[in-house]
Amino acid sequence: MVKTVSGRPGRLDSPAGPSSRAPVGFRRRASIFIRRRRLAPYLLILPSAAVIAGLVLWPTIQIAEFSFQNYGLPQLVGSSPAQWVGFANYSQILHDPEFWLSLRLSVLSAAAMVPLTLIVGTLVGLLLSKLGRKMAAFVSSVSILAWATPAVSASVIFVWLATPDGGVVDWFLTKLPAWLGGGAHWAGFSWTNAALPAYALATALVVWTGFPFIAIAVFAGLRTIPAELFESARMDGAGPWQIFWRVTYPLLRPIFQVLFLLSVIWDFGVFTQVFIIIGELGQRDEYNLGIYEYATAFQLPPAYGLASALAFILTIILLIITVGYVRASVREGALR
Amino acid sequence: MGLRKTPAALVAFGTAAALAIAGCSSSSSSSAGGSSTSSSAPAQLTVWRMGGSVASQVTWMNNVVTQFHKDFPAYANTKVNVVWVPWTSRTTDWNNALASGKNAPDITELGNTDTPTEASLGVLTNVSSYVNSWSNKAGLVSGMLANDTQNGDVYAVPWFGGVRGVWYRTDQFAKAGITSPPTTWAQLVTDAQKLQQTSPGTYGIDAITDDTNAFASFLWGSGGQIATQSNGTWTANLTSPADEAAIRYYVSLYRTYHLSPSKYIGQTELGNTGSTSGGANTDFGLGKLDLYIDGPWASATMPTNSVDKANWASFPIPSENGPNTAPVFAGGSDLAIFKTSKYPQADWDLISVMDNTANSTSFANLQGFFPPYTAELTGGPYKTEKFMSGFATAAVNSQVSPLNAKNWPTADTGKYFIIPDMLKSLMNGAPFDSTVAQANSQLQTVLNSGAES
Repeated sequence: MVKTVSGRPGRLDSPAGPSSRAPVGFRRRASIFIRRRRLAPYLLILPSAAVIAGLVLWPTIQIAEFSFQNYGLPQLVGSSPAQWVGFANYSQILHDPEFWLSLRLSVLSAAAMVPLTLIVGTLVGLLLSKLGRKMAAFVSSVSILAWATPAVSASVIFVWLATPDGGVVDWFLTKLPAWLGGGAHWAGFSWTNAALPAYALATALVVWTGFPFIAIAVFAGLRTIPAELFESARMDGAGPWQIFWRVTYPLLRPIFQVLFLLSVIWDFGVFTQVFIIIGELGQRDEYNLGIYEYATAFQLPPAYGLASALAFILTIILLIITVGYVRASVREGALR
Repeated sequence: MGLRKTPAALVAFGTAAALAIAGCSSSSSSSAGGSSTSSSAPAQLTVWRMGGSVASQVTWMNNVVTQFHKDFPAYANTKVNVVWVPWTSRTTDWNNALASGKNAPDITELGNTDTPTEASLGVLTNVSSYVNSWSNKAGLVSGMLANDTQNGDVYAVPWFGGVRGVWYRTDQFAKAGITSPPTTWAQLVTDAQKLQQTSPGTYGIDAITDDTNAFASFLWGSGGQIATQSNGTWTANLTSPADEAAIRYYVSLYRTYHLSPSKYIGQTELGNTGSTSGGANTDFGLGKLDLYIDGPWASATMPTNSVDKANWASFPIPSENGPNTAPVFAGGSDLAIFKTSKYPQADWDLISVMDNTANSTSFANLQGFFPPYTAELTGGPYKTEKFMSGFATAAVNSQVSPLNAKNWPTADTGKYFIIPDMLKSLMNGAPFDSTVAQANSQLQTVLNSGAES
């Protein structure tokens, strides 16, 4: 910490001439106070802190309150008072088989989405680094288009591609030779009325919209690695596989770790795409955690208390994943 | 006539629950009524209609409003604002309106199965005093009014009703050599098979999973019940021999006879849950489905390029062994005053115009429904008309319970989809006994639970 000159109290009086011996003005005194206490940084973050407190902290506190109450429609309308129910909401959720089913779907789909997005994104990032300037610009801007497509539009398009009524996916699969798994049994195949095909479609969609971000980040990271490192690796006889795992990956590890963390958070909480693919709320056996939570809150009868408890459970699950991961990363020295 | 923004539900997730409760609302348009005017003559009344905006219905409503202004000169300057709400988002939208205190309706249409639930949740105004002094009260079909009554208090009035039947095409029947509509389940299968053979590339019948209002006719058609109530306690009956026979039969339409395609699993009559096209309704309109189970109102959602419309006809859903028809669910819509409305008298006055004999009859005819008045039903032209006759025959043998039970919406289209999920699992190959037993116990639990635990 360096003590600034302006922070020294003695200096405040020195420039004042005899004529300004009069009482110090309010603005002046305020600035003295701020400087003496070093409040400026806090004042600067105050507006954003207030906005965050209002938009995030206050609702969080309210959700915490609701999660211990039997808060539903009668309480909302005011026809009966909210009652404190302790941990009843939490225990009800943990005893609901539907919760475990949706948790399972969330975990399994994230387990498929995250590695696939990372692998495809990394491969495209490596491809970008091999391409010439014009081609790289073309490929990256085309992928950005996929990334920029609104989730709702992309989901509607994917559902349309895979519709059993003449969708191009089913058509293509019927044309595929049998040794590749194609055949007439794909005609009119419904991708939305069972969990496995629905989440296969959702995974394809999430990977399609998610990989460009990974690719651009990896590409940007690759450009920071000096070319000599690759050259000397090649001179020593390393193949592309070895170069990636011995040179590229160790150097880009901090980037990969952040990308992994972000992908887990995004893919574990994916809502819009799955909501549209499974046909909103009609298919309970295809809910993931986010949709289960939404249905709990708003489907008849609305149970805001129960859903608040669920929101906390969801947050805690993500916190466990991310905190554990961040700790491991810090220990390895990847994140500082 | 503003179309309602539907994807409000999409953005609401997680924290939106808190935002909604905290009173924040993303909606920006004006709320119901002008608060500055006196309570006797509101500046505006907002009416929520269910479904999509249909031109003929808009015209009908405009005429009602003209009549309303004429009959009640005090409301000459009252604007009537109609908002169209998709059926699938109605409960969410009611709740959001209540939660935010904004954009709430003064009058809302609601399904007759919704009325008991919403009334017990305290969403609707008690209209007993208005109804009791209403001259049309005596003419209403008594069962329909009873559905809207709780502990002697009336919370809504019936507006129109309807029943489901089986749609078919007379030319396809002739081609397949079918001379009279089937009256037993066995005949239904045989006829569907014949139709599928003589009209290649079509599906025989739609065994969809997400329309319990229609599937109920099969449960009732073998003499079964979904659930029965005694001394205030519900007993679910899905594991009874009669119910199990119906469930087995319905599932066999897909699994054994392959009359229904796999894509109908998990679908409503309109398609994937949450969408309004691409399902059995569209397929029948385009001639890709031979027998289609739905009410006469479905013609409104048939595709505009539907084929062979002149040959559309209907027959009642058959019972297991005939010759009587299977009991059908008596569906329909009610009109109610929303709890938050500041102008209950004006609301009632508008309802009394919308629901008078002439207007409700013309409205019912417009949509393929029946008016709620006994005299119109028995003396009406419905029995003699080819397309409506099947439905009119079916309507004689109708049932509502337990589809009007307080917790039925929760069990069937709300938090749970008990019977749809059961049918879907069975069609996807789940073991019969354990799946049905599980659905049965879940149904009994939900029907007997409080409105909010």
